[in-house]
Amino acid sequence: MSIIRGIIILQFVCFCFASETTKAVSLKTGSQLAILEFEGWAISQPLTEFLTEEFRETVRDLKIFQVQDRGITNKFKIFKPRKRDYWSCWSEECALDLGRKLGVNYVLAGNIQKKGDDEFLIKGRLFSVDMETILNEFAMNSSGITDSLLLEMKKMAYNVSGLPVPDTLSVGSDLSQVATSEDIKQKRQWIQLPPIPSKIKALMMSTALPGSGQIWAERKYPGYGFMGTEATLGTAALIAYLQYDKAWGGFEKTYSDYQKGSDPHELIELRPKIIQYAADTRKYNAFMKNIRSVGLSIWAVNMVHAYLVAPSDDFFDGEYFFDLEYKTDVNQVQFNVNF
Amino acid sequence: MSIFNLLRVRIPVLVLCSFIFFTCDDATYDLDNPNDPENMDLEPPALFFHPSEIDTKLDSSFSMQLYGLKLKPAAAAHLDIRYEYGSVQIDSVVADTFFQSLNDPFQIVDDDSSGTLDYFIYLLPDTVAEMNEGGTWSLATVYFTAISTGGSELLFGENTKLRDANNDSVAVKSFGSGFINVE
Repeated sequence: MSIIRGIIILQFVCFCFASETTKAVSLKTGSQLAILEFEGWAISQPLTEFLTEEFRETVRDLKIFQVQDRGITNKFKIFKPRKRDYWSCWSEECALDLGRKLGVNYVLAGNIQKKGDDEFLIKGRLFSVDMETILNEFAMNSSGITDSLLLEMKKMAYNVSGLPVPDTLSVGSDLSQVATSEDIKQKRQWIQLPPIPSKIKALMMSTALPGSGQIWAERKYPGYGFMGTEATLGTAALIAYLQYDKAWGGFEKTYSDYQKGSDPHELIELRPKIIQYAADTRKYNAFMKNIRSVGLSIWAVNMVHAYLVAPSDDFFDGEYFFDLEYKTDVNQVQFNVNF
Repeated sequence: MSIFNLLRVRIPVLVLCSFIFFTCDDATYDLDNPNDPENMDLEPPALFFHPSEIDTKLDSSFSMQLYGLKLKPAAAAHLDIRYEYGSVQIDSVVADTFFQSLNDPFQIVDDDSSGTLDYFIYLLPDTVAEMNEGGTWSLATVYFTAISTGGSELLFGENTKLRDANNDSVAVKSFGSGFINVE
């Protein structure tokens, strides 16, 4: 009887403690991302492989997702051994299935389609394996050569990672993003100003701060050279100005004393000081004027240099403000303005 | 790197570069103070009256300094001052800094009240020097009283001379004049 009673009491105590104990349960998702090889439509396989790998590298560098290595991701050929039939994973079911098999939290599938002679359409879908849904869908237009296509892929990497596209990539962005998940917070939309051409931007930057346009255009050595030269000249001008200011202060005081003075002994002693101070102010002022001439010349050269070394925007030709173009057939430089 | 980041991290450089645009005014001046001996048309070494012109009123007292311009070292002086008798009268003469040493200078004032003042002044040697270093200094101050209206001139007479410690003559190339206008 006492044993039964003891068991009952023990059960009761366990029940009481159990009711007070809670276990924190949270839905925690990882950041493992598998980027499936992009499907190429009317594009060579080496090019799609190259672009996909560049895309992987960019996403990996952004450190938002842990991008699965190409070798592991391509194992899905083993799971689904269908040669060049990746487009089938465009569907949610296929992507989630592959994601589970690859042991990742996200899967990104996409394709690159050639639309015209120089026009490409890049599409991508980001699937969440944990939430079993499409998180985001991307579509980007690219016109031009392979470099432009690569640029668009990098932009897409930023979008996939949820990061703002940097200025160096955003010039000429033709991005349309379709959010399919309500949970994804949209970034604040600011007033969109017309895009500034890279050359003009570099020119403006170097106008404001010598060398900054070159640095922005990844020409760091000339940039730092211009910046250092101007800073050195500025320092020399500053030192000259301080010396001038000191001489000017002395001049003003002694000249004022001279004009007010009446003692010949004092006046005859002030006279050479005034002449010396005035000579000093002229000397330092002349030095500053020379520095200004040299500095402004270098500043102008720096502006022209920044314009020349900044990258040309392919998209920009004839579509926005203006374009300078050398026409070989007529042997003329043409200035085109477009609004 | 965005424009703003670029500017933010390089603001000191921007500030330095801005000094390139700095230029200022050149100092201009006119050394035209009438009390400046250089403006008195005197060839140094010289003796002159300071101030060279005085406007005063009847029965009022005023003073004039007997000034030396770029004088050589001297130990004594005989200053022969000519003034217009009946226009002003001399009240006193006081030695100034030129012959001052650790000892006060020795002086003799001989005013015959007829328009000639003979003033003798001697530097009394001390442990440092037996004559002064020369230069532009006041030798003495003469105190006058205006006794009649009108203008009168002050001149250095021909007996004016300076001597050094060896009793050699100290050159004086030119003499200034003074003018007193009593209203």
